[in-house]
Amino acid sequence: MAEIRLENVVKRFNEDEVVKNLNLTIADGSFTVIVGPSGCGKSTTLRMIAGLESPTSGDIWIGDQCVTNVEPGKRNIAMVFQNYALYPTMTVRKNIEFGLVNKKVPKAEREALIQEISDIVGLTEHLDKKPQQLSGGQRQRVALARAMVKKPKVFILDEPLSNLDAKLRGQMRRELIQLHKRLGTTFIYVTHDQVEAMSMGDQIILLDQGVVQQVDSPMNMYHDPNNVFTAEFIGTPAMNILERERLEIFLPSLMDRVRHVGFKPEHAHISAEMEKMSDHLVMKSEIITTETLGAETIYTVMNQAGTMNIKSFTEPITDTQKVYIAIPFDQLYFFDENEKRIRATEDYMEAPMPAMVGGA
Amino acid sequence: MKKNPLWKVLNGIGLLILITIFALPFVWMISTSFKTLGETMVFPPKWIPDTLLWENFSKAWNSGPFLKYFFNSTIVALGILVLQFLTIIPAAYAFARYKFKGSNFFFGVTMVTLMIPTQLIFLPVYLQMSAWGLLDSLWALILPFASSAFGIFLLRQSFKQVPEELLEAARLDQASEWQIIMRIMVPMAKPVLITFAMFSFIAHWNDYFWPLVMTTTDASRTLPLGISKLREVDGGVAWNILMAGNLILVVPILFVFFFAQRQIIRAFVYTGVK
Amino acid sequence: MSLGKARPYLMIFPAILVFTLFFIYPIGYMIYLSFHDWNFISPDKNYVGFNNFTALLQDAKFMQVLRNTFIYSALTVSLTISISLLLALWLNRKGAMYGFVQGAIFSPHIISLVSISMLWMWLMDTDYGLLNWFLNLFGISNVPWLTNPKTSLLSLIIVAVWKGIGYYTLIFIAGLQSIPKDIYEAAALDDTSKVRTFFKLTLPMLSPTLFFLTIIGLIGSFQVFETISIMTGGGPINSTNTIVYYIYENGFRFFKIGYASTAGVLLLGIIGVFTILYFRLLSRKVHYQ
Repeated sequence: MAEIRLENVVKRFNEDEVVKNLNLTIADGSFTVIVGPSGCGKSTTLRMIAGLESPTSGDIWIGDQCVTNVEPGKRNIAMVFQNYALYPTMTVRKNIEFGLVNKKVPKAEREALIQEISDIVGLTEHLDKKPQQLSGGQRQRVALARAMVKKPKVFILDEPLSNLDAKLRGQMRRELIQLHKRLGTTFIYVTHDQVEAMSMGDQIILLDQGVVQQVDSPMNMYHDPNNVFTAEFIGTPAMNILERERLEIFLPSLMDRVRHVGFKPEHAHISAEMEKMSDHLVMKSEIITTETLGAETIYTVMNQAGTMNIKSFTEPITDTQKVYIAIPFDQLYFFDENEKRIRATEDYMEAPMPAMVGGA
Repeated sequence: MKKNPLWKVLNGIGLLILITIFALPFVWMISTSFKTLGETMVFPPKWIPDTLLWENFSKAWNSGPFLKYFFNSTIVALGILVLQFLTIIPAAYAFARYKFKGSNFFFGVTMVTLMIPTQLIFLPVYLQMSAWGLLDSLWALILPFASSAFGIFLLRQSFKQVPEELLEAARLDQASEWQIIMRIMVPMAKPVLITFAMFSFIAHWNDYFWPLVMTTTDASRTLPLGISKLREVDGGVAWNILMAGNLILVVPILFVFFFAQRQIIRAFVYTGVK
Repeated sequence: MSLGKARPYLMIFPAILVFTLFFIYPIGYMIYLSFHDWNFISPDKNYVGFNNFTALLQDAKFMQVLRNTFIYSALTVSLTISISLLLALWLNRKGAMYGFVQGAIFSPHIISLVSISMLWMWLMDTDYGLLNWFLNLFGISNVPWLTNPKTSLLSLIIVAVWKGIGYYTLIFIAGLQSIPKDIYEAAALDDTSKVRTFFKLTLPMLSPTLFFLTIIGLIGSFQVFETISIMTGGGPINSTNTIVYYIYENGFRFFKIGYASTAGVLLLGIIGVFTILYFRLLSRKVHYQ
C-alpha cells in the first residue's frame, strides 16, 4: 500500500511561497503526472515527496507512514532525474549497484537483480561501460534501471524525457507506459509538456503558481476543464478563450456573470462559403496563417471577436482568405469573472440561442 | 614567414640556442660529476673526462648519512601529502557544498594563508616549535604543511562543478555524506587531486629553506640539506663530488618529468592559471 | 545528517586548525615580538615600543638590504616577464619539437633550488666556470660573477630568470591559447597588421595573466633565500643580502629576535600592499574582460 498524501503542505523559499497549502492524494499504483508551466511548484512538490526538500509546514504520508522527517534514502522512493544524474566515474553496473550496496544487499542477490533489470531495459551488453560512452537514450535506461533495481514503493520521474530528441521521446514514452503496467508501482511524473501528461498519465495534477488547478483523468481534463487556466493549458492548440464583450453581438442572451467564452479549435467548422447552420455560432473571419500538418490543418483566423486557432481535418483552403467559422452552441465553454467554469446551462444563458451570423 | 626557407633555418637555429641555454648546464653537471678533481681545474674546460669516475657518486653518497636523508625526505613529502589530503578534502567539500554561518569568514582565513609565504613567518613558527619541543624532528617539517589553502581552493572549484542532482541521486540511494565524498566527489575530482599531489610532492621534496631552519642534526635532515652540506667536504670545494651529489637529487625528478611531463607541466601551469 | 549543523564545522576544523597554528597565530606572535627586545635565550622579553622599527629604519645595512631586495625583484620580474612573453609568442605552436622545447625550458622549475644554486655557482666560477670560458670565446676576459659586489646581485638575477622563464612562458602560452581564435580571424579580415594585432588584441586579452604573473613574481622574489644562502651568503660586502636572508641572519646568527621580527613585519606590510594593489587593479580590469 503506497498511497501518497500531502496534507496542507506549504513551501516557502525566503519570502516566496512556491507551494500554497497543497492537499493531494496520489492513488497506489497510479501513473500520476504533475504538470504545469515552469515555476508552478511542480518540481518542488516532487522534491518534497522524495525528501530532497522539506516542507515549510504540512505533512507528507506514504502509505500509513508520515515521512515528513524521514531522510530521502529511507523513504523507499526511487527517482529519475532530468539530467539522469549518473555517477560519471562508475560503470553502468556500479551505477545500478550503488544503492544496493548502501542497503547492504548481499552480493549474489545484487548480481541477480542487476541481471534481471538490465535485461528488462536492454542494457546487458553495456554493463561495463561508463555513462559517457552511452547515447542519450541508453543513459535514460541506466537511470531507469538504477531506480528500478531498488524495487521502490514509488517511482519519481522529474522531466526525464526533456533531454531526448522528439523521436526517441515518443519511444521512451511508450516504454514508460509499458514499464508502469508491468511493475504496477506508483509513478509520479513531472513535466511541463501537456502532451506527455495527456498521453502517459491516468491521473493528471495541474499546478499553477503553487495552487492545484485541477486533478482529473486526461479525458476529463480535456473535455471538462474547471477553469480558464486548464482550458488554455490542455490541447494542441489549446482552447480559444474570447472576451465576452466582443462576442455580445453574436451571443446577446448571455447572463451577466459570464466573462469568458471558449471553444476548442477542433470543434469549429471552417468553410469558404457561408452555410446556414442552426445551433451554431457563425463568424465571418479572415485567415492569417495556415499550418498544414498533413492529416490536419491549423488556421489562425481573425474576426470581430479576436484572433483564434481553428483545427480542421479537411483539405486546406487555399483559394481565399475570407472564410466562415461555425461552432456548435453545445461545444461552447463559459467562465465567470474568476475564470471559473460555469457548467449548468441555466447559469449562463437567459434564453435559447438563436442562429446568428455576424459580419466581419 | 611560412614559405621563406631562410626563416625556417633561423627559427631552427633559434630553437637550438634556446635548448642549449637550458640543457647545457645539465650536460655540464653530468660531465663534471664524472671528472677527477684535477680535470675540473682545467681551463679551457674538458667536455668529456678521460675516464668515467663512478666513484664520485659513492663518495658523495657516503660523505653523510644519505640513506637517512633520503628516508626523511620521503617521509616528509609523503606525510605532508597524506595529511593534506585528509584535511583539504573535507574542507573543500564543506566550502563547496554547505551553507553555514561563518563560511565566508573561514574561507577568507584560508585565502589569506594562500598569500602568506612560509619564508615570512618561519621565525615565530620556529619559536613555537621550540616551545613544543618539536624542533629538529620530522614533525616540525610536516605539521606546518598539513593543510594547503591552495589545495582547498583548487578542490573546492572542482567540487562546485559537480551537479547537485548527482548528490541528490546518491542521497536517494541511501549514501551517507561520507560515501558521497569518497565514492562520488573524490573520484570525479581525481585529475585535480593528482595535479595537486604532483605539485605538493615536488615542492616539498625540493624544499631547502624549511628543513634548514627547523633541523639541527642529521637525524631529521632531508636530501637537499644533505646535498648542500657537500660543499664543506675536504675544506675546498670538490666540484666533481658536488655535481655527483646533485645529480643524485636531480636525476629522479628529471626522470619522472620525462615520463609525466604533460601532467607535471599541467600541475604547475594550472596553479598559475587557476 | 545526524551531525546536523555541526558537520561543516567539523569538516573544516582540521584545515583551519593548521592555518591558525602555523599561519595566523605566528603572524600575531611576530607582530608582538617586533615590539620587544629578546635574545631567545634569556627568559625576559623587554617591551621596547617602536624602538625596533626606528632602529631598523636608521640601520644603513638594512637600507642596503631593502635596496638590494627591490633591485633584485624589479629586475627579476621585468626581465622574466618580457623574455617569457616573447618566448611564448614564439613557442605557442603545435608540434613535437615545440613541445620538447617547452619541456626543456620548463625543466629547471621542478629542480631543487639547492641544485640550481650549486650548478650555477660552478658555471659562474671565475677561473674554471663554463660561463667565463664561453665569454672568452668572444674575447671577454673572466668576470668575477659572484665574488665582485658589482656583479653579484646581477648573477643571482640571471639564475632566477633562468629558472623562472619556462614556468612563465608556459603560463603565457596557456593565456594565449585561451584567447578565442575568432577575434584573430576577424582582425585578419579587417586587414590588421601583426604588430597592431599584438598591441590591440593579444596584449589586452593577456593582461589578467600579465598582472597575475607580475604579482606572484614580485611576492616570490621578495622572499628569495636559497640562492643567496648557498651561492653568496649575502656577500660580498652585503651586496646580495635581501630581506628574508637578513631576517634569517638576525634571528639565527645574532639572536636578535625582536629585530628580525620587525623586518618580518615590514616585509609582511610590503607584500600586503602589493596584494591589495593587485586586487584593486584586478577589480578595475574585470569589466574590461
